[in-house]
Amino acid sequence: MRAGSPSSGSIAENFNPFSPTALQPARGIIYEPLYYYNLMSSGDPKPMLATGYSWNADGTKLTVTTRQGVKWSDGKPFSAADVAFTFNMIAKTASINTNGLAATAAVKDDHTVVLSFKKTSFVSGPSVLGDTAIVPEHLWKDKNPATDINRNPVGTGAYSVATFTPQSYELKRNPGYWQQGKPQIDKVRYISLASADAATSALLAGEVDWMSAYFPGFDGLMKGKKELSYVNTPALTTSLFACSSAKLGCKGPQTDVAVRQAIYAALDRDQLNKLAFSNVANPGSPTLLIPGRDDKWISPSVEAKTPQGADTGKAESVLTKGGWSKGPDGIYVKDGQRLSLTIQVVTGWSDFISAIDAMTQQLRKAGMEIKSSQMSWNEWNSRELKGTYQLSLNSIGLGPSTDPYYTYEGKYSSKNTAPAGQNASSNPARYANPAVDAAIAAAAQTNDEAAKLQQYAVIQDNIARDLPYIPMVIGSTLTEFNNSRATGWPTQDNLYSFPASWKAWDNGVVLQNLTPVK
Amino acid sequence: MRYYLRKLAFYTVALWAALTLNFLLPRMMPGDPVDLMISKLAAKGPVSAETRRSLELLLGTKSDQPLVSQYVDYLGNLAHGDFGISVTFFPQTVSTTIAQTLPWTIALMGIATLISFAIGILLGQLAGWKRGSWLDNLIPVTTMFQAVPYFWLALVLLYLLSSVTQVFPTSGGYDVYNVTPGFNLPFLRSAAYYGTLPALTIVISSIAGWMLGMRNMMVATLSEDYIVTAEAKGLKPRRIMTTYAARNAVLPSLAGFATTLGFVVSGSIITEQVFSYPGIGMTLMSAVQNNDYALMQGVFLVITISVLGANLLVDLLYALIDPRTRARA
Amino acid sequence: MALSPKLAVGLTLCGGIALFGLLGPLFVGDPQRVDNIGLQPPGNGHLLGTTQTGQDVFAQLAYATRGSLLIGVVVGLLAVILAAGFGIIGAYIGGWVDEGFSLFSNVMLVLPGLPLMIVISSYVQNKGIWLVAGVLALTSWAGGARVLRAVTLSLRSRDYISASRVAGEKTWRILLVELLPNLVPLLAAMFVFAVIGAILGEAGLAFIGLGAGGSWTWGTMLFWAGNGLALRLGALWWFLPPGLLITVFGAGLAMINFSIDEIINPKLRDQTRRARRRWSASKRQIAATEEATR
Repeated sequence: MRAGSPSSGSIAENFNPFSPTALQPARGIIYEPLYYYNLMSSGDPKPMLATGYSWNADGTKLTVTTRQGVKWSDGKPFSAADVAFTFNMIAKTASINTNGLAATAAVKDDHTVVLSFKKTSFVSGPSVLGDTAIVPEHLWKDKNPATDINRNPVGTGAYSVATFTPQSYELKRNPGYWQQGKPQIDKVRYISLASADAATSALLAGEVDWMSAYFPGFDGLMKGKKELSYVNTPALTTSLFACSSAKLGCKGPQTDVAVRQAIYAALDRDQLNKLAFSNVANPGSPTLLIPGRDDKWISPSVEAKTPQGADTGKAESVLTKGGWSKGPDGIYVKDGQRLSLTIQVVTGWSDFISAIDAMTQQLRKAGMEIKSSQMSWNEWNSRELKGTYQLSLNSIGLGPSTDPYYTYEGKYSSKNTAPAGQNASSNPARYANPAVDAAIAAAAQTNDEAAKLQQYAVIQDNIARDLPYIPMVIGSTLTEFNNSRATGWPTQDNLYSFPASWKAWDNGVVLQNLTPVK
Repeated sequence: MRYYLRKLAFYTVALWAALTLNFLLPRMMPGDPVDLMISKLAAKGPVSAETRRSLELLLGTKSDQPLVSQYVDYLGNLAHGDFGISVTFFPQTVSTTIAQTLPWTIALMGIATLISFAIGILLGQLAGWKRGSWLDNLIPVTTMFQAVPYFWLALVLLYLLSSVTQVFPTSGGYDVYNVTPGFNLPFLRSAAYYGTLPALTIVISSIAGWMLGMRNMMVATLSEDYIVTAEAKGLKPRRIMTTYAARNAVLPSLAGFATTLGFVVSGSIITEQVFSYPGIGMTLMSAVQNNDYALMQGVFLVITISVLGANLLVDLLYALIDPRTRARA
Repeated sequence: MALSPKLAVGLTLCGGIALFGLLGPLFVGDPQRVDNIGLQPPGNGHLLGTTQTGQDVFAQLAYATRGSLLIGVVVGLLAVILAAGFGIIGAYIGGWVDEGFSLFSNVMLVLPGLPLMIVISSYVQNKGIWLVAGVLALTSWAGGARVLRAVTLSLRSRDYISASRVAGEKTWRILLVELLPNLVPLLAAMFVFAVIGAILGEAGLAFIGLGAGGSWTWGTMLFWAGNGLALRLGALWWFLPPGLLITVFGAGLAMINFSIDEIINPKLRDQTRRARRRWSASKRQIAATEEATR
């Protein structure tokens, strides 16, 4: 079985699951978490190295029951001590503590661990349980967890490393894997695919069985090949980030909420999807959640989905109500300021640039002028963080679970922003709204879904009106498979995991589910 | 002696200029590697405010040192052959990354340049000898190839020869599925097969330059008196062409060849990009894309040193062959 | 001097393309305009078909021609001016100025161009045509300066220059009136060379994503076509035209350069027939001598 990974032409050996540059299999295929969270469904997490967990009432103590009968790939038994060691190591080592975990772990008995937090930490659950690789104490107690590249990794996962070269590496089956009868594929080879063109030709030539890459015209190109199939799992909401707060130093017409609402209405998302995104994007939601998967989280008081066609009339009436009037050149004007906006985009992000081309025409019809400004990634990112942009085309990232808390806390909490000129950590729109802040804080204090829903409804009412991030579409994540050597891949009807080959944790679940073709 | 001292002084200055430029340019760029790593992680999974702090600690990028002391450190580290740690391939050192990729580039580009030079010189010699022949009239046509954008030609050939007809592989340096790198026959054979198409494109696009240069030198040499003398002596035309004319006409081309060898490393950037070849050009591009200062500096330095070294070699050889050079300086 | 066939062909090719770049944009639509029809082969009002987003390829080509020629001409001029400045003036004045200038141009010459361009242009933000032209000019003048310096050095010691110096002519006058006219063919060749270099250089930079992002040039067109996998999708009408235009324009310039070369170096021009006569004569002579000695 052959999996492709996008890379810079050569691969640097690194199987340290705590390293930001770790190779894909390190997280999920070689090392495993306590629980597996499937981002494709809002169901309960699936037990992996743990068989049960429970919070105490105020969310400061998490008791985890670890699985019995699991062995490390070197034959030594796995126990609760390894779990405690892992969490204590992370808490001690700031440079690998990417989630800001401040828990101390204590072994209660051979298969029970208790994590103690300083404050209410329900929201840390998914990252503790589902986003932390458990490593063996007997091998890691002498390692530097930040910089060790962890050659010949010993994990609990279904595979271990067989051979490694800078161009490709091979994993072999772990014969003592704890899930009976799994995995069925003996060997998995990872190769590096440096460009979209290289990836496309490798796929079409049958040289790769599993890869995640978008390429133009993929539908037509794959049609002739019976053995190839693909799954599209839109998950990242492509949005216009607006530097929205004049109070925090943002400059430009987009600081006016009427302008953001007008853009929201004037976008012809059908055309954007067709011309820029090959018709594989899905409709987004003004709540920034994913319609379908997240329906239970979306408050009935807001629109669940963005409109698809353009509503120029509505856009114009919103602008007029907001005090804008049409100038002689057909562009709206308010207080001597023309409604002309600059969208920043990274040079070479061709789908985004095409989208801006189309958007320019769409918004022109509604009396708004768009200029695009292409720049290097560095510049683009630094402007976004510093708040020295007007509009920026970007995507909303994934959270550790499907709970909307992670998106809302990151993107809308005023804790995560800063005045223009200073780096904002994760709220580049500079959205600051006390009502939203309060609701986010309240949601963090509870583990009760109904209570959370109440808070999320407050947030959604506010953000669907204020639109600091103007959702465009939910961008596609295409994953292509070759069914001639292995079957059992996730399908559109059976998304037992997020199918992308780069997705940590999910990659292990996919590999365990495959069966070889005889 | 004065000549050699001057040359040495010049190359020292050139090296210093390159080192300093190399030091300054990346530091003037906006953004830092932490941001880049965060965004890469964000595309794959959850990222929180704490992620930034942990990455800053990990990469040690918070540098409040004044520029001057950074500069001194930089020169000191280079003297020890320490190029620092790459962010893209963290925690691998820059030296390791370069050591992994450089051999690919040198092998591919070196062999291609050699072939192009040999064929170009041979054809140029014939064209210059038989002025007005079909071969000579072909020269303006071959310059067409020089005017073709290299990557465009390469992409067309790649498409025709590996996607449409599947004569050659589409990307990579060797067959990663079936052979193991090392000094074994299957690997070398596979590497040669994978390198053929990239090498072919380089030869096609560079051969005209050698041909034209050699042809013009040949024409100039043929009008020298000693050639006339040789003719008058009744020597065989073939002997005049090879031993008398071509031997002298090839000198400037040889110098050019040595210089080109220096540029081998830098010339490979686009080739490697088109063919996804695992060499140093790809490494430079990924360093630029990843804001990887240390790696960028390391690669740029390797390129500069190879160019300077080749030029120095040419200068020294020339002085040895042609004493007039020394006198003129 | 009569127009040689090479020169005529070269001028026609380059002139035609230049005219297209100059006037074309006046007659075509907006190259940015998207259309729901998507990727379409030539026909139906689109002379060269459309791109993935339904943009008209012919319109893009017209604007791209203008952009690329602009880059070519600007870089050509800048490179010649820089080369002349550092080469001629340094060599003529001599002394420390010459030492300094020549050291500087030699250093610029050995610094590897493409990596330098990559590093510089990844530093320059929001690149327009002018910035890309500036970067290209900066890395392309040094070779010319070295040649000009050598030629100027040899001209400087000619008698007529010494004579005008003795006669008390001003330095700038000697430079402009006595020296420069001798260098015109060389400068012209250099200009032509720099134009080809700049157009190819821009295309290369654009291909690796470091070109003039927001503007139309042959390079950015090819970048878009490459990005849209135009070749793989069989959209030859999108991928081929810009490359062909570069090739034809470059070939035209090369022919002009050949002709200039023949002006500078009469040996290259006159010899063809003379040489052939000579060889045939010597063959006859050889035959004759062989006859005689037998």
